[in-house]
Amino acid sequence: MSGTTILKPDLGFVNEVIRSGGESLKKCYQCATCSVVCNVTPEDKPFPRKEMLQAQWGLKDQLMKNPDIWLCHQCSDCTAYCPRGAKPGEVLGAIRKMSIKEFSAPGFMAKMVGQPKFLLVLFAIPVLLLLASGAGQTPAGPVAFGKPHGFLFSMYFIDPLFTAAALFALVSLGLGVRKYWKAMAADLPADQAAKINLGAAVKETVSEILAHRRFQKCETTKGRSTAHLLVFYSFIGLFITTILAFVKVILEPNTGYLAFLGHPVQIGESAITGLTVIFKIIGNASALALIAGIFLVMTNRFKNSKKAGVGSYYDWLFITIVAGLGITGLLAELLRISNIPAAYPTYVIHLCFVFFLFAYAPFSKMAHMFYRATAMVFARATGRG
Amino acid sequence: MAQDPILVIGGGISGLTAAIEAAECGCEAVVVEKNAYLGGRVAQLNKYFPKLCPPLCGLEINYRRIKENPRLTFHTQAEVTSITASDGGYNVTIQVAPRFVNDKCVACDACAQACPSERSDDFNFGMSRTKAAYLPFDQAFPQKYVIDGASCKADCGRKCQEACKYGAIDMDMKPETLNLKVSAIVMATGWNPYDITRADNLGMGKVKNVINNMMMERLAAANGPTSGKILRPSDGKEPKKVAFVQCAGSRDENHLPYCSYICCLASLKHISYVKEQYPEAQATMFYIDVRTPGRYEKFYWKVRDMEGVTLTKGKVAKIYNAQGTDDPVVVIEDVLSGKKVEEQFDMVVLASGMEASQRTRPVPVSVSYTPEGMIIPSSLPPGIYASGTAKSPVDVAKSMQDATGIALKSIGKLLSSGGAN
Ligand SMILES: Cc1cc2nc3c(=O)[nH]c(=O)nc-3n(C[C@H](O)[C@H](O)[C@H](O)COP(=O)(O)OP(=O)(O)OC[C@H]3O[C@@H](n4cnc5c(N)ncnc54)[C@H](O)[C@@H]3O)c2cc1C
Ligand code: SF4
Ligand code: SF4
Ligand code: SF4
Ligand code: SF4
Repeated sequence: MSGTTILKPDLGFVNEVIRSGGESLKKCYQCATCSVVCNVTPEDKPFPRKEMLQAQWGLKDQLMKNPDIWLCHQCSDCTAYCPRGAKPGEVLGAIRKMSIKEFSAPGFMAKMVGQPKFLLVLFAIPVLLLLASGAGQTPAGPVAFGKPHGFLFSMYFIDPLFTAAALFALVSLGLGVRKYWKAMAADLPADQAAKINLGAAVKETVSEILAHRRFQKCETTKGRSTAHLLVFYSFIGLFITTILAFVKVILEPNTGYLAFLGHPVQIGESAITGLTVIFKIIGNASALALIAGIFLVMTNRFKNSKKAGVGSYYDWLFITIVAGLGITGLLAELLRISNIPAAYPTYVIHLCFVFFLFAYAPFSKMAHMFYRATAMVFARATGRG
Repeated sequence: MAQDPILVIGGGISGLTAAIEAAECGCEAVVVEKNAYLGGRVAQLNKYFPKLCPPLCGLEINYRRIKENPRLTFHTQAEVTSITASDGGYNVTIQVAPRFVNDKCVACDACAQACPSERSDDFNFGMSRTKAAYLPFDQAFPQKYVIDGASCKADCGRKCQEACKYGAIDMDMKPETLNLKVSAIVMATGWNPYDITRADNLGMGKVKNVINNMMMERLAAANGPTSGKILRPSDGKEPKKVAFVQCAGSRDENHLPYCSYICCLASLKHISYVKEQYPEAQATMFYIDVRTPGRYEKFYWKVRDMEGVTLTKGKVAKIYNAQGTDDPVVVIEDVLSGKKVEEQFDMVVLASGMEASQRTRPVPVSVSYTPEGMIIPSSLPPGIYASGTAKSPVDVAKSMQDATGIALKSIGKLLSSGGAN
């Protein structure tokens, strides 16, 4: 090495890593077992040993612009073999949480999602909004959701609310991802930056994610990739369901938005029924997959807790929200079909979970999919595999 | 008799030193050793660092001191089965397994030649076989053959007995129980190589030509399974490229959390064995950091500067068989260059650590152990002392120093409870 490198350790950062679930950070003695047993890392400048060193030294900048922290899938092979119990997998998890906080705006929201003491406030927001929209009442007649003037009387209020939350999340995530990309790309030599073939990198990354190829290389927590795959595809299924349902409420001849705005479309009853059947099938299948998947996620975590640790508040908040979402959704549906009025409050709780998941997505572990995908694309584009 | 003897459990270098020192000060000492020979692990070493002299020289001197001293008695193939406090001393029970060979044996080897049964040779860590009638190793003390009751099927019509011209074989020998009153007890039960098959990523027992450091001692020893020529086990090939994997099971919470103290030195010594036999050979030592305490540093410099010797910082955490060959491949992250590297070798030596033998076979006495089975000296009852590697992983010199101090303590105990003659 030539010249002098001046390191600027950020002690506050070190302490934050420790507080965010990386308690074991300081135990690392740099043996490099972790980088060897990690099946996911590239060969050149492998992780996670170097991240452990950077974190110990408080080199926040280097970690924040590092794609590797997201290439890690926290399969915990490193944690299982680490001779010092330094739990590199968990430490990287903590660093990822901080990376989400670093890039997702506004920052105070990230802080709130990361700390248990704000949990009640975060939940209070959707509860109050829903109550304000009249969700407290139990209408007479057979149980049905979403009637424009029945329960949740105003879907004209609820839908825009959720749309706004989703848009907010998308914008925040978009900005965050852009910031992250810029941070990563800042150090790229000009010739390499010019060579980036984004299209190809995105294509390869998508195919890799769809097949969970990287995830399947994990050994210690073998079952995790199946569990994650279930949750992942159920999210896709639920996303499609939501879009179709939305299309339906826009198009419906008498009660749809277009009709409401005075531009009813001519569409046959059978087309609407067909649409409904399709999204119900996809929706129910996805809900079941979600519940099964998240249940597997939980049991895997407990099963592997000895080798890999149970995970942090941040992990469990996300798991709980997803589990809550799936269970209340299914329950509300069953109660509705059975015409039991308890369906209403259940549905309201379900909507709270939905709100939580969407509105706070940029700050919760939900954001991981966006940042990880970004890092994977960047890694591919720059030849880091 | 005015004095009760000092009991020494374990006839390794530490136990022998304690017993000899005490006996040479005029005390009675009794050594109880579970093997059929004295000397412990040191007897299995090829050479001693740092001077690289043969350990049997040192042991020979001790054997002579034992033979010349009437106050020192020993029992081999013996173990202490109970210890109870009595009158400021202890009553102990000792079980002696039958050797089936008596003192008339002159070690002529006729019995072994006649014996049709075989056993795996534990002295060589299973890398060779002996007959059921055998001498543990050529310079074993006592120089008496042993018949391994478990391997002798006695269906040969007692061929050994027929072959023995000295009437030294007694197949009717029975286990013996001895009861002794002793004034003090020295626990010098030593260590075993850590069972490194428990580190499933290091390939021991699964990947060909992965051996541990004690096997390397035996491969290099003239009285070893290859008569001192270092050959790799799978095909007897001369290894010209050898990897040394440091901290194999030591400094590792999942195995032994402590540094075993001697294994860096042992590997450096092994590199010198390899280079001595194959000057053109390449040796690479993969380390977390090289630990050669005190004056041993010089030995490290000497080996480090040899031609063909590479020291690479990075712990080996994966070893597998290169397809279609008998060669092991080690995987590391070269910490200094930040690259994950795979390298193929002819043979891999795992520098496995020292595990207290008490962990698997505790002596029946009330004492606290560290979680790894090391005796915690302050927890020992009065008049019971621990010496050498039963307490902490150390080299021979430290074991002997410790033993000398412990001998003094035991003598002190003895004097306070009756007096020596
Ligand atoms: C690969 C390797 C190479 C080494 N090379 C060197 C070297 O070059 N130089 C050096 O200084 N050190 C070296 N050492 C360290 C050296 O081997 C130890 O310091 C030494 O053996 C310690 O002697 P000890 O008497 O404490 O234990 P041991 O040698 O283990 O002796 C203990 C004795 O107690 C007996 N025993 C155990 N339990 C019982 C029981 N319950 N009842 C009766 N008997 C029992 C055992 O059979 C054994 O004979 C090396 C170690 C290793 C692993
Ligand atoms: S995290 Fe553990 S395995 Fe990785 S370098 Fe540190 S001590 Fe070694
Ligand atoms: S958790 Fe898994 S992917 Fe992440 S560094 Fe450890 S071994 Fe690699
Ligand atoms: S037991 Fe007899 S035959 Fe065997 S070595 Fe001793 S003396 Fe020779
Ligand atoms: S002596 Fe060397 S190889 Fe042995 S445990 Fe210590 S550092 Fe590791």
